[in-house]
Amino acid sequence: MVEQNKNSKNTIKEITYRVLKASLKAILIYVIYVLVSPMLVPLAELVPDLMSSIESFALIFVALMFLSDLTQDTIFQYFFNTARQIYIIGYLLLSMGNGVMSLSYDNLSLTVNLTIFYGIAVLLSLLGLARSILQAIDYMGKKAENEISFQPIQKI
Amino acid sequence: MKVPIRMLGIATSVFWVLLITFIILAAYSVTDLRFDIDEPELRVDPDGQLIFNLPLNIDNGGYYSLREFHITTLFSNAEGLEISWAHTLVPVIPSGEITRINHNVPLNIEEIYQNDDNYLFEDNDLQVSLSVGLNFAEVLPSQISTNFTFPWGAPFSNFNLGQPSINMFNLTHSIISVPMSYDNHAFYDVMGSIDVGLYDDGYSLLSETQELINTPQQSAYSENMELIVSNNSSLDNIQDGYFNIYFSTLMFEHGPLVIPYG
Repeated sequence: MVEQNKNSKNTIKEITYRVLKASLKAILIYVIYVLVSPMLVPLAELVPDLMSSIESFALIFVALMFLSDLTQDTIFQYFFNTARQIYIIGYLLLSMGNGVMSLSYDNLSLTVNLTIFYGIAVLLSLLGLARSILQAIDYMGKKAENEISFQPIQKI
Repeated sequence: MKVPIRMLGIATSVFWVLLITFIILAAYSVTDLRFDIDEPELRVDPDGQLIFNLPLNIDNGGYYSLREFHITTLFSNAEGLEISWAHTLVPVIPSGEITRINHNVPLNIEEIYQNDDNYLFEDNDLQVSLSVGLNFAEVLPSQISTNFTFPWGAPFSNFNLGQPSINMFNLTHSIISVPMSYDNHAFYDVMGSIDVGLYDDGYSLLSETQELINTPQQSAYSENMELIVSNNSSLDNIQDGYFNIYFSTLMFEHGPLVIPYG
């Protein structure tokens, strides 16, 4: 009974720690976003929907990161990490289109070819995705190893 | 497995930081770029060719140099027919430097008037398509394009032959006096001659004359030209006749312009 109480106390402590850690990390990312976003104002003047687009991206990114931290040391952590990387790649590919950003004002039109930027960002996200998958494989490998090592050796 | 995963993580983070830093610096560099376009001007070069000159000052106060800066200008008439185009390329505009560019477009006046002689007699507009391209921060190809009209002053604006008057010159000939006037709205002085031929209704040349002209830009010309006609010519035939007018200047030749008598 005492052992059970101790276990549940530890679980509550662990969950509180994880929630706290995930929240602090999310808040930190949000603070960085708040500090960096004014620097993007010159770009936002050129691209009308840039700030709202970045805001929605940051929101989902932070939510997936929060869930990943919350499920730390479980296989779900890697699911959420992989989901986050896939989300970044999908977001980049959808916003990229043909990689050319065109803006028109009066009879003035501006065209900027962002293909190289998008290409680098997608490649970095692919690296992140590969890392998440490797982490998941590593986790499952270690788990299987542990299960085998805990099995009692049967005497014939 | 742990070491490669960690290395992959570190490498990815480092590259992300570099990319984001580059984007922020590039955005700031854009705000430090200044393009000053001076008033475009038309001038005549020593070979007698008309040149459209667009002076540009580029102050690259950003962190990155600009590569392959180019300006392309295309002139076309009201019907969209291409008149002239020019391309100016500056391979590099280094960071922190001010570069002055003179973009010159040669305009073939003869071709303009041949394609549409309204440009000779009526003030009009030329359609201009301007595009400016550059490779920003060496990896971001960008282009700005715009269309505008450029006012074109006609060298023989309001060209007019007035009512002819016939007077006796001697017993065998009469003198026909015709007032001729025009305004030179062009960007250049008109120097040359106007050849006028008087034809009757049977397309026979009755008389011809040449008027030497020297009309500075933005000034008017008004003179009486005189044609001597044989008294044998029937006056009725002249009444139904016409004038053939040829313009010959230092910059272009044009004709014939056919104007009915009277």
